[in-house]
Amino acid sequence: MTDVTTITPRSLRQFLAAAPEAFYGWMVGKPLNLVLFCVVAVVAGAGSYGAVMGSWRDPLQAVYTGIKLPLVMLLTTLGNGLLNGMLAPLLGLNLTFRQSFTAVLISFAVTSIVLGALSPVALFIVCNTPPLATGTTMKSPEYAVLQLTLAMFVAVAGVIGNVRLLPLLRQWSGGTGAGLHVLLAWLAVNLFLGSQISWVLRPFIWEANRPVAFLGADCFQGSFFETVYNAVGRLMAS
Amino acid sequence: MNENNPIPPLMPPGERAAVPPSIPPLPGNRPLGEDPAEQATLPHTFAAIEALLRQPRRLMFQMRQPGAGKLIGGMLFAALLCAAVYGVVAGTFSGGTQLWAAPVKIAAGLFISATICLPSLYIFTCLSGSQARLSEVCGLLAGLLMLMTILLVGFAPVAWIFSQSTNSIWWMGFLHLMFWFVATIFGVRFMKSGFSHTNAKSHAGLNVWIIIFLLVAVQMTTALRPILGQSESFFPKEKQFFVGHWFDSAKQLEAENNVRARN
Repeated sequence: MTDVTTITPRSLRQFLAAAPEAFYGWMVGKPLNLVLFCVVAVVAGAGSYGAVMGSWRDPLQAVYTGIKLPLVMLLTTLGNGLLNGMLAPLLGLNLTFRQSFTAVLISFAVTSIVLGALSPVALFIVCNTPPLATGTTMKSPEYAVLQLTLAMFVAVAGVIGNVRLLPLLRQWSGGTGAGLHVLLAWLAVNLFLGSQISWVLRPFIWEANRPVAFLGADCFQGSFFETVYNAVGRLMAS
Repeated sequence: MNENNPIPPLMPPGERAAVPPSIPPLPGNRPLGEDPAEQATLPHTFAAIEALLRQPRRLMFQMRQPGAGKLIGGMLFAALLCAAVYGVVAGTFSGGTQLWAAPVKIAAGLFISATICLPSLYIFTCLSGSQARLSEVCGLLAGLLMLMTILLVGFAPVAWIFSQSTNSIWWMGFLHLMFWFVATIFGVRFMKSGFSHTNAKSHAGLNVWIIIFLLVAVQMTTALRPILGQSESFFPKEKQFFVGHWFDSAKQLEAENNVRARN
């Protein structure tokens, strides 16, 4: 059972099962401890999942992706910190910048913990996928299946992370719709920036005809949304 | 705007852990200054920014008080500074002279748009039966500009990431317009909630003014082009309407895509 009186989360179980009151208590009690807890959760959870993602390509890619996946989450939280802090009060939720930042970080921490928990399953899938060979291309079915499965796990973890945040925001907003509005606004801006940061930090699994590298050859070329737009345009044309 | 949900005072530390800061629902059009917290003066511009985000009613009340000119001046200065900061970020897309030209154009464009539209705002306000004085109308406009620009500063890290990644002026232009539009929506909400406390009988005049302001601001981006790309001259050599400019940009994008498809 969640202990409302503690001023910092003491275990993973306590963090995951915490009631909104407990989260708020941690935020105002020892906020730095909560932030540290969340950062460690992101680094460990998303890091282990990233390592599994990259392990299909090469052990070095596993290290790189293990660094990059937590980096995406932390950079998104930092990059949108100011904006998220402004959106919360504007949409009717009385949160300070620090509290908004921590709330978003909590959501990413829950997502990362779920990803960490799914890492063994992902590893099982990676181990069962035919290894990268000279004939493997970006269009190879084995790569497509691996890519889709790993992305689906991230999506599921992301949904859980956000759903976990909703009761917290709902209670803080006094049961009004402001909590949902703030969550949707945060979700929109975090997805927007997160997609582009992921685009810059790619590849996460593999880049065809290129040696293993921390960043891709054209990391600062184009944007995620331009690529989607062009792909849709090509589809419509054909 | 959390106009109907004013922020409650901070709770004593002992109660904090158990009770989250819920915002109690309160009746809509209470007179400004009814809550003693709204009567607290705003000592500096940072307090005005904080109040704009969290206690907009406090700011609206303070703008009605004698000597509000200093507060409004501070708000305009903050808006100017924030617009310049966002302009620098926009200028990083092209670099070079745009690093100073873009902030100058964005800040100047915003303030020229506001100045051009101020007389019509005051007239529409009077026509709607509002009792607001010119200083109060200026204050609401300053609030609109300040909220818009501080939100743009919030968007700045996102804009910077994109401006470092893409080479497409069309895409960056679209992105900046989108950010500007979102920021304007929040600014207009503040203005409308302030307007509702001026005994206006109708919001129709204000709604018309908002459309005028949007059109002027969008046209300003075309009149002061290029804000993103490089140019030999500071001002454009030919006059163009913003719709025509957007069509030209869309054609350019299509041509870029065709070249890319051929390659």
